[in-house]
Amino acid sequence: MFAYYFTLGLRSLRRNPALTALMIVTLAVGVAASMATLTVLYVMSGDPIPEKSDRLFVPRVDTAPLVGYAAGDEPSDQLNYTDATNLLRSGQGVRRTAVYGVGNAIETGRADLPPFLAQGVAPTRDFFAMFNVPFLYGGPWDVATETAKSNVIVLNRELSEKLFGKTNPVGKRITMDSEQWQIVGVIDKWNPLPRYYRLINGNGGNFSGADEYFIPFQTAVRHEFSNNGNNNCTGEGPKEPGYQGWIASECDWIQFWFEGKSASDQARIKEFLAAYVTDQKKLGRFPRPINVRLENVMEWMKHLGVVGADTKLSTWLAFGFLLVCLVNTVGLLLAKFSARAGEVGVRRALGATRGNIFQQFLIEATVIGLVGGLLGLILSFGGLWLISMQSEEMAIVAKMDWAMLALTLALSIFASILAGLLPTWRACQVTPALQLKTQ
Amino acid sequence: MEIRPILSSLLRNKTGALLIAAQVALSLAIVANALYIIHDRLERAARTSGVADETSMFRLGVAQMKDPESAEGKLAVQDRNYDLIRGVPGVASVARTNQSPLSRSGWNMGLSLDTKQAETTTNTAMYFGQDSMVKTFGLKLIEGRDFVADDVETIDPDKTQSLGRTAILTQVLAKKLFPASSAVGKTIYLGTGSDAFPLQVVGVVEKLQTPWANVGERGEISTILAARRVESYGMFVVRAEPGQRDRVMKDVEAALGKVPGQVVMGTESMEKDRIDLYRDDRAIAWMLITVTVLLLLVTASGIVGMATLWVNQRRKQIGVRRALGARRIDILRYFITENLMITTGGIVAGLLLAVALNQLLVSQLELPKLPLGYLAIGSTVLWLIGVLAVYGPAWRASSISPAIATRSA
Repeated sequence: MFAYYFTLGLRSLRRNPALTALMIVTLAVGVAASMATLTVLYVMSGDPIPEKSDRLFVPRVDTAPLVGYAAGDEPSDQLNYTDATNLLRSGQGVRRTAVYGVGNAIETGRADLPPFLAQGVAPTRDFFAMFNVPFLYGGPWDVATETAKSNVIVLNRELSEKLFGKTNPVGKRITMDSEQWQIVGVIDKWNPLPRYYRLINGNGGNFSGADEYFIPFQTAVRHEFSNNGNNNCTGEGPKEPGYQGWIASECDWIQFWFEGKSASDQARIKEFLAAYVTDQKKLGRFPRPINVRLENVMEWMKHLGVVGADTKLSTWLAFGFLLVCLVNTVGLLLAKFSARAGEVGVRRALGATRGNIFQQFLIEATVIGLVGGLLGLILSFGGLWLISMQSEEMAIVAKMDWAMLALTLALSIFASILAGLLPTWRACQVTPALQLKTQ
Repeated sequence: MEIRPILSSLLRNKTGALLIAAQVALSLAIVANALYIIHDRLERAARTSGVADETSMFRLGVAQMKDPESAEGKLAVQDRNYDLIRGVPGVASVARTNQSPLSRSGWNMGLSLDTKQAETTTNTAMYFGQDSMVKTFGLKLIEGRDFVADDVETIDPDKTQSLGRTAILTQVLAKKLFPASSAVGKTIYLGTGSDAFPLQVVGVVEKLQTPWANVGERGEISTILAARRVESYGMFVVRAEPGQRDRVMKDVEAALGKVPGQVVMGTESMEKDRIDLYRDDRAIAWMLITVTVLLLLVTASGIVGMATLWVNQRRKQIGVRRALGARRIDILRYFITENLMITTGGIVAGLLLAVALNQLLVSQLELPKLPLGYLAIGSTVLWLIGVLAVYGPAWRASSISPAIATRSA
């Protein structure tokens, strides 16, 4: 019976073509607007590392001076050099890394490739294992190299291909900042969305931009490379000028990550942080009351407001729009179905139950939803294309995957069924005798 | 008037009317809020930066592969690059700076009135360099004077954190620091506490936006200092002769890039910086405009659809009324009045919804509060759309010939 009603529904599309077309277009536009904005929201707020996002933690401690303290103040988002190195040595969790941004000129010595600036990060060795960074060639530098603060470098695939083509460059040397650096590894395509591992960056923002190379944290500090990113000084700032004054100061510029064995390590590491601050107080640091935070990946992204207010606004608005489209479809379906009271009367008189009528009309509404959904799918691609024209960042996030594709169709069908309920119920109320008498 | 009979007939057949009213209410709620956000964003993007003729301006950065060791070496790099830029025909003015308006990246520092303060009085965007930014940016000096050569202090960042002795403030900042009197001649401090550096205010400019062009007053709190930093890295802002920017930009980039061991980066016109800075604002405004137009179209089509249905259902009654002496205008008026009653009901509900939606946006997304004027605009628009949408079906209803309408079953 379903197949038959479905065919009837398809045929009925040709009845009142203007009204039907209006319904389909309304539904399609509403669905398209909602899905286009929802896709952006979905990509932006997605979990970039679902397998361990609940056991990667960002610590925050409040090193600011006592003056100006108000209860409820948030600790700074980054760490200063002193705390970062102390926490690296702490042995808490299974892995730890400190990350900051660097930018250096790479000399190629080739006539066809003039010197250029490349953007990279300086993490510790654990970084690669913590964030599941895939390697194409070689691997991370070893512990001995890290301790010796040697000039070693890991390239990303693009930079490697730019310099060496599609060959394996591990073991070769490049000239950066007028010094020789040995290549130990090349990472494969790796561009998590959002770039959760270093959200506070000086290159590209939360979604676009890529880190082209990786050098050991302590090597970068030995070279006195300054941070390419956000440098924040609450209070007095450095007491001494120059780089050594900078790293001795309470200014924060380093992003730090712990990896726990499981999600339950969050409480344990947080306790450790409080103990650490208590300990440091003895040295005259941390004048404020103990105020520590430890956030996992999703909490951290929420804290930094990765999904902007504008994105939320667009999504809300689009769903408001879908609601209007839905109300409109209810009205139009009501008009369409009420014109068929005579048909319902005849069918009921010939023995069809109310249930049969209900089924038939609801399936007819579903058919409209299906056609509207297909049209809506095309329109959502159009909408996403428009959104991706706005900026590089939007071009990266405005991409639909299979889940969203399926959701578009499902939303459209669900919307049409919802819209069809009232008109269908009304159609079922037709009294056959009355209807037949007036004919 | 005919309101009573129309009302009683409406009350008999409520569903359709309620649906239209609900649609109008939802549309009004969304349209009023959307119009306000559109206006707010476009107004934000239309603010001026204080820089005269932005279309002639561009910026670029210069870095060295190998930093010279000595201070003299670093200063020599600066001097050489000045000469290279000035050597390009069509360069009207050039200034070395640490940041450029609208470029979204720069320095933010605290100023205080007294070193004994626990906290700085205000944060300010900090522009500094050895040249006249007043001249290169084309700023309007409203009080005091521009920097002279004696004001410029040469500073080695490896030895001191000072940034000079003199300052030019924007009007907004001057008023904020010295509400009652003129700022010129006063001493302010960079930072606070015993390490703070004193600065003497020598002039006030009408306007110079921060590199971020923040919303509200904060967007115009900027300070200019006269300091020549000993460093080989540097950003230059260049004003080209009118109409020659693109060529001058290319030529300057080429002239600086030819020096071995020197890298030119971040070349961007101020026009492009402005587009990039307000990209999101314009994008959200256009998205809202699209949604508003679509929404009004959908609402209008809904009204047309329902009105057509009602006309078809009442063909017989219309025929009878016409046969009993009603003129065409009476029929037309009937449908338009009926529609006005429904939309008015919708609008009343919509006004409440709009305020509620605004409350939600204010609390959740920190959006500004909706001025009442937008409710009036939204209501008028929906009233007009209601009347326009119903006019077609109503006119068709009035053209029904009484003879034919009453004859059929």
